[in-house]
Amino acid sequence: MAQLAINNITKTFGDTSVLKGISLDIQDGEFVSLVGPSGCGKSTLLRIIAGLEEPSGGHIMIAGTDVTSTRASDRNLSMVFQSYALYPHLTVAENIAVPLRMRTMNATQRLPLIGRVMPGASDKAKEIAQAVQHAANVLEIDLLLDRKPGQLSGGQRQRVALGRALVREPAAFLLDEPLSNLDAKLRVQTRSEIAELHRRLNATFIYVTHDQVEAMTMSDRIAVMMGGEILQCAPPEVVYDDPDDIRVAEFIGSPKINILPVERTERDLFLFGQRLPLTAKLDAPALLQIGLRPEALRLTKTAPLMTGQVAHCENLGSEIFAQIALDEHTGRVVIKATPEERHKLSLGAKVGLGFAATDALVFGPKGKRLRDIEATACSVSEVA
Amino acid sequence: MTRDWWKHMVLILGAIIVLAPFYMMVSYSFKSPGEIDRGEGGFFGRQEMMVDERCVKLRDPNRDEIAAAAPHFPGKTDNEIRLALLAEAEADCSMRPIVFNYSKAFTEAPLLRYLLNGILVTGSIFLIQVVVALPAAYALAKLKFWGRDTVFALVLFCLLIPVHAIALPLYIMLAKLGLTNTYAALVVPWTISVFGIFLMRQFFMSVPDDLIDAARMDGLGEFAIVWRVMLPTAIPALLAFAIFSIVAHWNDYFWPRIVVTGNRDLFTPPLGLREFKGDGDGSFFGPMMATATVIVTPLIVAFLIAQRRFIEGITLSGMK
Repeated sequence: MAQLAINNITKTFGDTSVLKGISLDIQDGEFVSLVGPSGCGKSTLLRIIAGLEEPSGGHIMIAGTDVTSTRASDRNLSMVFQSYALYPHLTVAENIAVPLRMRTMNATQRLPLIGRVMPGASDKAKEIAQAVQHAANVLEIDLLLDRKPGQLSGGQRQRVALGRALVREPAAFLLDEPLSNLDAKLRVQTRSEIAELHRRLNATFIYVTHDQVEAMTMSDRIAVMMGGEILQCAPPEVVYDDPDDIRVAEFIGSPKINILPVERTERDLFLFGQRLPLTAKLDAPALLQIGLRPEALRLTKTAPLMTGQVAHCENLGSEIFAQIALDEHTGRVVIKATPEERHKLSLGAKVGLGFAATDALVFGPKGKRLRDIEATACSVSEVA
Repeated sequence: MTRDWWKHMVLILGAIIVLAPFYMMVSYSFKSPGEIDRGEGGFFGRQEMMVDERCVKLRDPNRDEIAAAAPHFPGKTDNEIRLALLAEAEADCSMRPIVFNYSKAFTEAPLLRYLLNGILVTGSIFLIQVVVALPAAYALAKLKFWGRDTVFALVLFCLLIPVHAIALPLYIMLAKLGLTNTYAALVVPWTISVFGIFLMRQFFMSVPDDLIDAARMDGLGEFAIVWRVMLPTAIPALLAFAIFSIVAHWNDYFWPRIVVTGNRDLFTPPLGLREFKGDGDGSFFGPMMATATVIVTPLIVAFLIAQRRFIEGITLSGMK
C-alpha cells in the first residue's frame, strides 16, 4: 500500500496530444476514480501509471520513489482489465496463482514438471495454494478453481480477474472499466462489492470508468477528465454540487444538468427577460450560462421564471423525470418531480417552473464557474 | 435433385484426380510384378503365390552344395539333386505379392533407418523453426520498435524467394563449411521459416493486447510472455504450421538429394525410394510403391490425429 504521485504527465501520439500535463496526488488507501467520456485520455493515464505506456514527459512516483522508467512488472501494481484478460489455457486457480508464482518462485522452480522437485518449490507451492484459496474465498469463487476461463460467465471471469489482482499485496490496484462488460444488475451488485473490498483491504484504488454513476458511488475522490486534462478532482458531492467547469457539471449527473443562457445588465442577471435574484460583479461577462440540476427545478404556478409544455415523461416509480419544451427558448429542460405531481405532468400540459437562486450554478461564456455571484434576499421560488 | 449437384460433381472429379495417384500407389504395393506389368488384378491383385526370381537365383546350388546334400537324396544323380534343391528353393522363395513387396521394402534398403532420419530431420527443423519464429512473430505483432514495418516487409519479401533459386549458393556455403553429408546440412537451411514467422505474426495480431499487458503486470518478462502466454494460446496456429512444415520437409526430395551425396546412412525416406529405381535388372514397382506407402502413412496418421485439435482450434474460443 502506498501513496502515488503523478507529476505533470504528458503523452503525445504523433501530433495529437492525449494528455496535457496531468498532476494528481493519491493518498494511501484512497479510492480515486478517473472519469470522462471516451477518448479523454483516462485509460492512457492509467496505463502510464501501470507502466504499460511510456509518458512523453513528467514523472510517476510510488511511495516517494520515481518509477517513471521502471518496467510494469517491477512496479508492484495490480491491474484489472476491461476484457479481464485471463489466460485461456490456465484454470482459475492457475490464473490467480500466476502473479505469486512469478514473484515468489525463481526461474528453475517455475519450470514445468521438473520445477516441482526443485528445493523449496513445494513449500512455496503450498503457500501460493493457500493464498489462492483465500482470495477465492473472499470473492466466492472457490468452487470454480478447476475450471478454465472459457467455462465461466462474464461475472465469474470478472471475479477471477479481481482475484488475480488481490492475491498479492500491491502498492495500488488499477481498475480499467472492470464493470463495463457486465449486465446492469450484476454491475450494481459488483459495484458495491468492489467498494466494500476497498474498505476491507484499505488499499489504494485507481478506477477508470466512463460511467459517472460508478464514479459517484464508489470513490473517495473523482477526477473528471476531458480533452487530456483533469478538470476537477474532488469528492463526489463536491463534483456534483459545486462543479468548477460547465463540462464537469454536464458530465456528472443523470439526467444531465439543464444549461440556460442568462444576460447581465449592471449587476443584475436576467433569464429570458426576467430578473433573477442573483447579483454579479460589474466586471463579469455580459453573457453567462446557468446550470440547474433537474431536482433544483420545481413546478410552480405563481410567478414562474419559465413556462413550457410537457414534451416527454419518464416515470421511474419513485421519481418522475419530465422534459419540458420551453416557450421562451428552443431547448428542453428536464425536471425531477415526485409521484404526487404526476397528474400535473400529462403530455402537452402547460407548466410553470421556478428554482431557488442558491441552486443555480453560474458559468462564464467559456464554461468556467463564476463563484462571485450572490443571491439577493427575496427569492422568487420561495413564493411558490 | 438439388441445384448444387454440379458443384458436387466438380468436387468429386477433383477428389478423383487427387486420389488417383494414391490409389495406384497402394494398389501397386499389393500386386505382383506380372499383374503390374499387365495392369490386371483390380485393387488388391489376385494374391496368388509368386516366386521371387532373385531369391531363387541366389540359392542356385553349386557343386559343393550338391555334394553336401547328396546324403539326403540317396541314389539320385547330381542333376536330379540339383533340380530337387532348386524346387526346394522355389518353394521357400514363393510368397504372396503383398508380403513380397513390403518385405522387400524393408530388407532391400534400410527403410527403418531412413524413417528414423526423416523423424530426426523434420523434428529438429520444426522445433528450431518454432524457437525462432515465435519470438520473432511476437516482436513483429506486439512490440513497438523502430523499423518494425520494414522488417515485416522484408519477411513478406522473403516469402517470395523460391528455394531452388538459392539452392546453389546455400550448397556452396555448406560445402565451404564442410557440412555436406551431415544432419546439419539437412536441417540448418530450414531453421528460419519466414512462412512460420508470417503465419504466427498474423495469429498473434488477433491475441488481445490486454492479455499481454496483464502478463506484464503479473511480472512476466517478454520471453516468458512468448513461451507461457503466447505459445499456449497459439497451439492451433502452431498445429497448422506444423502440418505445412512437417509435410514439406518429410517429403522433400530436392534438398536431401543435393546435400547428401554419398552417405546412405543420412538418407531421408524420399531418398530411400531411389533404391528401387529400375536399373538393369528390371523394375521394382511393387516394393517401390510399398516403400512410398510406408513413407506417406505416418503423415496421414499424424494428420488424422491432429485434425480434431486443428479444426477445434480454428474457432478459437475462450479468449474473450
